[in-house]
Amino acid sequence: MRRRDPLLPNAGIIARREYRDRTRSPLFIVSTILLAVLAMMVAIAPIGVRLIDRQSVSRLVVISSDAELGTRALAVAESLLNSPPAGVDLATWQRPYQLEIGSDPETTEALLSRGLVAGIMLVERQANGGVDVRLRTAEGPTSARSQILSVAAFGVGVLDWSSRVPSGALAPFVTPTYTVESINTATDGGAPLDIRQAASRYLLGIVFVILLLISIIIYGMWVATGVASEKSSRVMELMISAASPRQMLAGKVVGIGSAGLTQYAMIALPALILLAFQDRIASALLGPDWISGAPLGGLTAGLLLGYGLFFLLGFALFALIYAAMGSFVSRPDDLQTLSLPLSLVAMAGYLIAIVALGGGSGTIVTLASLLPPFSPFVMLARVMVSAVEPWELVLSIGLLIAAIGVVAVIATRMYAAGVLLYGQRPGLRAFVTAARRA
Amino acid sequence: MSLEIDHVTKRFGTTTALDRLTFEVGRGEVFGFLGANGAGKTTTMRICLGIIRPDSGEIRWAGQAAAVLPRRTWGYLPEERGLYPRMGVLDQLVYFGSLYGEPPDRARREARAWLTRFRILDYADRRAEELSKGNQQKVQFIAAVLHEPEVLLMDEPFTGLDPVNLVLLRDAFTELRDRGRTLIFSTHQMEAAEALCESVAIVDLGRVVAGGRVRDLKRASGRRTLRVVLGGDPAPHWLESLPGVATVARDAIGADLDLLSTADPDAILAAILGHGSSVTRFDLAEPSLEALFIEHVGRAPDDEPAVSADLGTASVAAGGFA
Repeated sequence: MRRRDPLLPNAGIIARREYRDRTRSPLFIVSTILLAVLAMMVAIAPIGVRLIDRQSVSRLVVISSDAELGTRALAVAESLLNSPPAGVDLATWQRPYQLEIGSDPETTEALLSRGLVAGIMLVERQANGGVDVRLRTAEGPTSARSQILSVAAFGVGVLDWSSRVPSGALAPFVTPTYTVESINTATDGGAPLDIRQAASRYLLGIVFVILLLISIIIYGMWVATGVASEKSSRVMELMISAASPRQMLAGKVVGIGSAGLTQYAMIALPALILLAFQDRIASALLGPDWISGAPLGGLTAGLLLGYGLFFLLGFALFALIYAAMGSFVSRPDDLQTLSLPLSLVAMAGYLIAIVALGGGSGTIVTLASLLPPFSPFVMLARVMVSAVEPWELVLSIGLLIAAIGVVAVIATRMYAAGVLLYGQRPGLRAFVTAARRA
Repeated sequence: MSLEIDHVTKRFGTTTALDRLTFEVGRGEVFGFLGANGAGKTTTMRICLGIIRPDSGEIRWAGQAAAVLPRRTWGYLPEERGLYPRMGVLDQLVYFGSLYGEPPDRARREARAWLTRFRILDYADRRAEELSKGNQQKVQFIAAVLHEPEVLLMDEPFTGLDPVNLVLLRDAFTELRDRGRTLIFSTHQMEAAEALCESVAIVDLGRVVAGGRVRDLKRASGRRTLRVVLGGDPAPHWLESLPGVATVARDAIGADLDLLSTADPDAILAAILGHGSSVTRFDLAEPSLEALFIEHVGRAPDDEPAVSADLGTASVAAGGFA
């Protein structure tokens, strides 16, 4: 018969100490401030890019087999795109667009694909008398420029109609057709994705997966170092009589995990606030002619929640193993060697996730998104860029929680054995033997 | 009400750390657990605390198995001293008190009282790493007793203490005993054990080789020591030839003569006077605890044993998450 040691309150007391110990250390405070500043800089980077972009000129080429129609389209586009905003000094104001008539469609197309031209406006008269405008661009149909040019297309249609109908005569007005042809296309299960959104999701996916990898390795090492330094300072000897291994392990993982989450929130929150106010900041910095866009387009509350969930579960899984590892070394210095295999496992998950973000959907990606310890990385990536069946998500989370339960039992046993081992070389054999004996 | 160590056996691989170890400690006693390094002292304490499971046998306190008793029954001062280096002394004591179920306010009050008593209240808000080793040791002792455990287990509590702190700690032992606490400590400092313990167990290679009340042990040994201080030459060469003298231990002032059980003190005194020496001290005493230890173990407590049995670390009980 064994003593009954309920998790609480001791695990809570230990967690509180660990949390305070981490969050009050000068290193924590300095690194949090530095990283928060860095995150804010990244958040306002798109505005900075536009600030630079504003000073550059976008080239737009109008091509038409009808020279008169071409010239008219150029004039309308010019009046819409290059109209000076109210309140600017016309002497110093630079036109954001350089509009020109192109003659050779092939040469212009080559310039577009090389990025030397921002877009090609193909203007033709149709058999029914209406005007057809096609915009070929690297952007999607929802981009601000594409939308302004749809107004331009309508304007060209009206002008063309009014110029061709003799005064006083009645003729039907045919609404001009306007299509945007994106030269880059992304698909999601065959359905075309808004190019901007797809790019944004991909970018966010990479950011999230990297954040997950970094936080699991850094905060996991915090747990391992915490355990190892309790051993090296011999305070573990006092702890083992005051609390059970289960209480110590749970307290450590929760306390250090919370400190990690706190640091994460303190880094992310200022950056998110900046993003929420980016319109105001941008118009203050760039003036009213700033063309609105969304750097975080594609980010939804659901995705943020998903990230939070996979971060918590992934961290719990890895932190338990890190804690068991920390209990097997006598000095924190030995941790680097022992933790390498675990870092490699996390890295493998990260790499598969990058494949998934790039559109990979093979068996390995699907399996890795369901099976721990890779699932936190890979499922997060899949959720970011493609449609995931609900059952896949439930199975992935269920397996992850089950794995945490199993790892918790094994890690507690290894921890209980490891904390009393002094002066032995840490190695896989000692690790396995202790787990089997316990 | 007593602590019963009942035929406890523990093996680590091929080494037997404890071999049917059996002894009993009465409530409110100060008990010395004497043995050389590797005798099995730390292993026994860890089994009491439920950190290690015995292969066979049982440890009971007040008739209940030690392993099921609440943690706060026990106070433990480990041999390996350690505190959280960067944590404040008082915070640290309140933390350990809380783990044993003490309300923080009470733990703080008790901790301050103990710090005052040990003359280190000024260090209450300092980090542990700023304290001297002796002071750290006192803080650890407070951490072990703050929750007023019924049984206090201490592994080599006197190691590294200066004479002033040694007295402070001994006084604390006496006070705790007077409050009805049971104190068990391991040591190989025989003088300390002699000054404090009513009962002892002498262990060697995991077995009790002698045990019981110190007075009874001394009487049962049949050995006596004679302290003689002579005028002129304090320790002349003919001391060994006196009738009934087994061994002679000389020092700067006089000599301790270890007597055979058949020796007659009167005959010895007559023989000394017969050598023409004047006698300034002639003191017949029971053997020291150290002499008893050597008699039973065959070597001094500080000597290393031939085989180390106190591995105490390899196989450990675990609670498990289930």
